[in-house]
Amino acid sequence: MSQFTISRRAVLAGSAMLLASTALPTIGRAQTPKKGGRLVVAADSEPRNLNPAIVASNGVFFISSKVVETLAEASFDGKDGLAPRLALSWEGADDGLSATFKLRDGVKWHDGKPFTSADVAFSALQVWKPLQNLGRTVFRDLEAVDTPDALTAVFKFSKPTPFQLIRNALPALSSVVPKHVYETGKIEDNPANIAPVGTGPFKFAEYKQGQYYRLTKNTDYWGKDEPYLDEIIYQVLPDRTSAAAALEAEEIHLAAFSAVPLADLDRISKVPGLKVVTKGYEGLTYQLVVEINHRRKELADLKVRQAIAHAIDKDFVVKTVFLGYAAASTGPVPKNDPQFYTADVPTYAFDVAKANALLDEAGYKKGADGKRFSLKLLPAPYFNETKQFGDYLRQALAAIGIDAQLVNNDSAAHIKAVYTDHAFDLAVGPPVFRGDPAISTTILVQSGIPDGVPFSNQGGYKNEDLDALITKASETLDSAARTELYKTFQKKVVEDLPLINVAEWSFISVARDTVGNIANNPRWAVSNWADTYLES
Amino acid sequence: MSAIRRFLRVPEATAGAFILALLLAMALLAPLLFPGDPQAIAGAPLLPPFHDWSLPLGTDRLGRDVLAELFHGARTSLAVGLAAAAAALLIGAVVGTLAGFAGGLVDEVLMRVTDAFQTVPGFLLALAFVSVVGPSLGVVVAAIALGTWTGPARVARAEVLSIRERDYVAGARVIGMHPLEIAFREILPNALPPVLALSSVIVAAAILTEAALSFLGLGDPNRVTWGGMIAEGRTVLRTAPFLSIVPGIALVLTVLGVYLAGEGVVETTATRRGLS
Repeated sequence: MSQFTISRRAVLAGSAMLLASTALPTIGRAQTPKKGGRLVVAADSEPRNLNPAIVASNGVFFISSKVVETLAEASFDGKDGLAPRLALSWEGADDGLSATFKLRDGVKWHDGKPFTSADVAFSALQVWKPLQNLGRTVFRDLEAVDTPDALTAVFKFSKPTPFQLIRNALPALSSVVPKHVYETGKIEDNPANIAPVGTGPFKFAEYKQGQYYRLTKNTDYWGKDEPYLDEIIYQVLPDRTSAAAALEAEEIHLAAFSAVPLADLDRISKVPGLKVVTKGYEGLTYQLVVEINHRRKELADLKVRQAIAHAIDKDFVVKTVFLGYAAASTGPVPKNDPQFYTADVPTYAFDVAKANALLDEAGYKKGADGKRFSLKLLPAPYFNETKQFGDYLRQALAAIGIDAQLVNNDSAAHIKAVYTDHAFDLAVGPPVFRGDPAISTTILVQSGIPDGVPFSNQGGYKNEDLDALITKASETLDSAARTELYKTFQKKVVEDLPLINVAEWSFISVARDTVGNIANNPRWAVSNWADTYLES
Repeated sequence: MSAIRRFLRVPEATAGAFILALLLAMALLAPLLFPGDPQAIAGAPLLPPFHDWSLPLGTDRLGRDVLAELFHGARTSLAVGLAAAAAALLIGAVVGTLAGFAGGLVDEVLMRVTDAFQTVPGFLLALAFVSVVGPSLGVVVAAIALGTWTGPARVARAEVLSIRERDYVAGARVIGMHPLEIAFREILPNALPPVLALSSVIVAAAILTEAALSFLGLGDPNRVTWGGMIAEGRTVLRTAPFLSIVPGIALVLTVLGVYLAGEGVVETTATRRGLS
């Protein structure tokens, strides 16, 4: 393996060439992808475990999705929003008890061994179902995977499982790992978790802690002429302000996942040679949510919750906290979801007078000091935006006579305070919508979840109607009927406000103009980048 | 009167006193000049300074009045600085007097405890304390005092060691005064001046520590603090640098003022001693 170091000279030479390239006439750009080149990308976190089959999270996918492929990837124009990867076709049985996947022929693992249905069976039963954070729910009833031949895998379920859910889970949860590498020893301790082996367009080459990850081209890749790039370098830049500076200095080509702070985007979009890309994250939508502790007697009153909803100026939040890079929410499913979203829900317009009237009606009159009651407000510390929204919410509540006391915690303390100790009245959280409400949305409303499960309903909310609806939807096999149930779910949630959805946002990429085929699928940053290229 | 005149003859003391007086005025006048919640949203977000004269220093990312925040921040900074210094001096003086006057085992135990506190950097101690107990103004004051009481304790002990051998202390013993009464009524008042000389350093350090804690998100989130303002401004440093610069200047001036005034006091007392 050749020694690789990023020297200042190499960077300067590279950037000089880049600079020269931007000076060239730009006629005919983005026509035919160029081959070769090294793409340098900013990485803001350094995941230890790079096995996407175990840790289904965006930080891991960002790097490992180029190495380990899934059965299918999200797509803007494919059928059901999917494009084939390792699987060519998929079909669910009418009884919901089985699903058949036809696999791609002639695919080889990076170590040269052929990819077969045995690998899929092994990944599903030994990794996704027992070990994966999200797979545990989706593949709960998976009993067996039959492999009638090397290119067919038949998933067998013990209980009817909606195929729509399985299909929606494919892009994020179906990373296939090689059976021959993982079958000996404990899967959690396998060295391939740190240096993954897959079928993807890039091979994992090396990782230098605190410096970079390096991936090299897989010359045996199944995609015709793909990949275009020779190498991808993930340069570790933990400080968010340094990503913008590195882009301007032409040290990196791309900063994904909003590594450049929102407040800097306006300035950076005017820098020649750089482009701000807001597409390519449609499948990764974050939701800004006010979590409510229904154990507080004031908050158990629907009128008080409605008053809080009326007190929040969603447009102001979108404009100031997110600087326009977000959308106001109407309910628990984001607007950009093509399958489940419905706008047919009650709305709570920004109306301070109405909010005050509702609180008076509920019997919480203003005291002599203009305050009705006090609340503890815990903004989640993961994003600048959640913290800023906490500051905003405090002011919005002050305007209707609710005195909110902010409590700041670090991540671990916040998760413990909200999801285990329930030591909050209101909390600001950023749950993720993962393409199907059953994966991570209904859990925010459902009752009977044990204490300590993060990002779930820990506010003591219990609504038998909604619980029954959620159970029914999880057993409904017909896609249209299931979708209809989730539309009713959205309506009921907005009516009863177990939580308040304020805004939904996604990430922004900033890239040099020379990077081609950016954002061409809804999960672009975490897809395989086989067709990404560099003009030079 | 003459002490004040002497104090004012030292130029740095005059400058320090002027800055401190200004700061004190800011802190006291804040609720009158900017009534209501300083964190209330007052205008369009990220308004630059000197554009709109109703918001002379502009607004931050949420549209809050920077000038109002600056005035109210002065209250927090001064309150924390003075309270933490008072607490540190009080604990330090009591521990030092007890150790110095009692001697023997009590002295050993108290001084080893002091050593233990001195080996841990004060800021780390404050950081750990606040992250365990949770950030609020009282906790921040306690956390800062926890890291700074050792200096006064050592000075007080050294002073007490020499005073307790004086004749008037022996006299007090002979007339049958209770040892604690001797320690705190006869010895402590005489041991105080050198301890008090430390106060300016402690106040300045406490203000800086509070700012650093707030910067790291460990200040009281329900109050405006200069450190918190700088931290919030940091995210927009490239587009709106004034959000960090304005509270930064205030912080520098305050610490400078406290130092200069303290220096002036030391200078004045030294001159008086020299004259007598």
